[in-house]
Amino acid sequence: MTRSTQLQASVHEPAGALPPSGISPFWRTIGALLRNPLALTGLIIVGLLVLVALIAPLVAPQNPYDLGQLDIMDGRLAPGSESMTGMTYLLGTDDQGRDLFSAILYGLRTSILVGIVSAAIALLIGAGIGLISAYAGGRTDAVLMRIVDIQLSFPAILIALILLAVLGQGVDKIIIALVVTQWAYYARTVRGSALVESKRAYIDAARSMALPDRRVIIRHILPNCLPPLIVVATMRVAYAIMLEATLSFLGIGLPVTEPSLGLLISNGFDYMMSGDYWISVFPGLTLLLLIVGINLIGDALRDILNPRREG
Amino acid sequence: MSNPILSISGLTTSFRTGGQWRDVIRDISFDIGPRETVAVVGESGSGKSVTAMSVMRLLGGNARSSGRIGFDGHDLLSLPVEEMQKIRGNRIGMIFQEPMTSLNPVLKIGDQITEVLMQHRGLDHATATTEAVRLLDKVRIPSARARLGEYPMNFSGGMRQRVVIAIALACEPKLLIADEPTTALDVTIQAQILELIKTLQQEEGMSVLFITHDMGVVAEISDRTVVMYRGDIVETDTTRQIFRKASHPYTRALLSAVPQLGSMAGQPRPLRFPVVDMKTGEIAPVPPTADTVRHDIAPVLKVEHLITRFPVRKGILRRIAGRVHAVEDISFDLHAGETLSLVGESGCGKSTTGRSLIRLEKMTSGRVQIDGKEVAKANQGSLAEIRREAQMIFQDPFESLNPRMRVGQAIAEPMIAHGLASSSEAISRAGTLLEQVGLSAAMADRFPHEFSGGQRQRVCIARALALDPKLIVADESVSALDVSIKAQVINLMLDLQERLGLGYLFISHDMAVVERISHRVAVMYLGEIVEIGPRQSVFENPQHDYTRRLMAAVPIADPARRQTRRIVDSEIKSPFRAADYQPPKRRYREVSPGHFVQLAME
Repeated sequence: MTRSTQLQASVHEPAGALPPSGISPFWRTIGALLRNPLALTGLIIVGLLVLVALIAPLVAPQNPYDLGQLDIMDGRLAPGSESMTGMTYLLGTDDQGRDLFSAILYGLRTSILVGIVSAAIALLIGAGIGLISAYAGGRTDAVLMRIVDIQLSFPAILIALILLAVLGQGVDKIIIALVVTQWAYYARTVRGSALVESKRAYIDAARSMALPDRRVIIRHILPNCLPPLIVVATMRVAYAIMLEATLSFLGIGLPVTEPSLGLLISNGFDYMMSGDYWISVFPGLTLLLLIVGINLIGDALRDILNPRREG
Repeated sequence: MSNPILSISGLTTSFRTGGQWRDVIRDISFDIGPRETVAVVGESGSGKSVTAMSVMRLLGGNARSSGRIGFDGHDLLSLPVEEMQKIRGNRIGMIFQEPMTSLNPVLKIGDQITEVLMQHRGLDHATATTEAVRLLDKVRIPSARARLGEYPMNFSGGMRQRVVIAIALACEPKLLIADEPTTALDVTIQAQILELIKTLQQEEGMSVLFITHDMGVVAEISDRTVVMYRGDIVETDTTRQIFRKASHPYTRALLSAVPQLGSMAGQPRPLRFPVVDMKTGEIAPVPPTADTVRHDIAPVLKVEHLITRFPVRKGILRRIAGRVHAVEDISFDLHAGETLSLVGESGCGKSTTGRSLIRLEKMTSGRVQIDGKEVAKANQGSLAEIRREAQMIFQDPFESLNPRMRVGQAIAEPMIAHGLASSSEAISRAGTLLEQVGLSAAMADRFPHEFSGGQRQRVCIARALALDPKLIVADESVSALDVSIKAQVINLMLDLQERLGLGYLFISHDMAVVERISHRVAVMYLGEIVEIGPRQSVFENPQHDYTRRLMAAVPIADPARRQTRRIVDSEIKSPFRAADYQPPKRRYREVSPGHFVQLAME
């Protein structure tokens, strides 16, 4: 080290700096979430639902996908009834004789999996396109953003319907359909904030240090675009789950043998009028709880991550 | 003193943050007499603006004030909201720092003035319009009647501030509160506005409460001065007395850090600022500056006929309607260990020059050589090499650090990206660099928001040093800092120059700072260098008209030398030109060795 002489710092600095804590923005956000009662409620709801979905095979009294365990004679039993073999159907059974409680646990698995996986893929694709669009600018930007415009001008459900009609049924197919309908939202969000960030002096600073473009994009622009992206992603996961439920309800999402929440609601819909409310209502309530939980977190995140509210 | 207009006693204002009340100003007391100008001066965080806002009761719901603010027989703090509304904007006028945002952009100037007149004085539309013209005349806006129908965007910054003053005067207030009204303005415009406020005060018989951070402005305008430091008044006295014999160490520190134009007469080299001991108020002697300029080796930066123009496109066909001639045919060179300052007012092209040199902006034509390497022709690889030699420090230390990166990482990053060090070496070197700029290595783990402005600028300097550059382009690097911090950062820059033999291209609008730090000075106006030469020669013997005007406009931090100026209505012209404009060939005259001045066009 050639130049290590230490300078005498006669530092008298006026107030203005926050007390040094060394806590990263990530943990500050988590801390703020936990201190917000609504967000905490959302976190608990979503956390519990995800947990039971994960451990469904361990806690569910029945495997609703195993047709051998079902008994058609137990069809449409009211909540609390006992089966021929002596087990209690907590939430009743559907027309196939499935234990609704077990079916909901397994349905949650599918719904959450589809929601998160499709949102993650769409986020990766969308964020990538958005960053390229903002950083390249000019013609590339114009072309990419017109594609986004076209994509957004079609109703999501219409695109999904057409795609599923072509691709057929299945979890992978519905994930593809959801990604196609969702990526554009991420692309637009990321492009917007990346454009703002790339005008700021610290990007000039990075460029004046001759950092490679890829490094500037990934290490400098992307992390600063994360706050709006996280908010959009949270809301979009909820939307993807709802869209999947809608598609399944319409009978073109998932096969009947692997019911998601939407399909369960659809199954019970025929019997609503005959008084067998539980088949639709319990899966519906679960879906509602999940969506509300995610949105509570999303709302709180939007408030916490909004730079104008800092201070 | 005869009955004061405004009498503040025991004013304490606190803000609630995180459920706790924190005092921002404590037990403030001072009076303002009739026709008196009182300046409240202090650095950021001193509570000077909060004092003004407390008087106007403009603070939000998370603030509370106690004490007494006597105005015209009322206690403003205990007045009901409706009564306060009648005083605010009526008996007390206020002007703010930012003339760009304190006018409504979608309303015509005339309507914004008549609105106030009709609201507060109950005039009908016709009389209000006549009165509006009278007010605009009063603030010396040329052809006032014609400009009533224009929108704020048609006015320049200085003109907008005049409109704001006209609105504040609309109801013939007894007291005018001016909160940093000239801080956002160029120095020649600032001189005009200060002169205007002084004149209006005499004409209208108002009292003025003037909030500022600038000791030069204080000396220029105020009768008495209140010095604030971290929420307390440390000293109140007549301005003359404060400048002649300040009693509090903080005031003395503040004054010694104020660069004074002309204080460098007879000094050929840059000079550090004196360091004042904050407890005793003693001023340590300034160590002499070594001769750092290396004339014996080839210049580290060579600029020949640099031109940078920005096309302005219009219409659907995006045809070029004209060009902004931001930088027009400038040439200079800079030696290792030398500081060349580019000075000028906003829009003169000084920043664009700096940015063009390292290709943050694409130059239109010309030759730039950094350490013998051609900048314009460089490809990606050689550009990286050139940028290693020339680093930039930006104006806003809050903006120029990535908020999501620990400062240690930020300093280490260029070394890693250029393959100069492994990541563990880079991190340890980042610590050394932090120590070199007067911070501690342990601060490497902090995020930028955990530093104050001055510390952040030190971090930026450390980052610029990471690649061992030969040249540093400092673009308004100290302009956003408080005076005492500014002095420290400049001392640091001079230390580093002595130790590392750095060449500085120091871009600034602040003549007084420039006088302190530079070996040579180039004055820019409308994209051209109008005068360039050794600092001593340019400052002691300015030749070009614009240089003289610029120097005359700088407020002098000495009330004894207060000058009366003519109110000149000149505005800074725009470097926008038609597409087919051919810039004239400029010729220069050598006044003394190395001191060139542009010849006027015949």
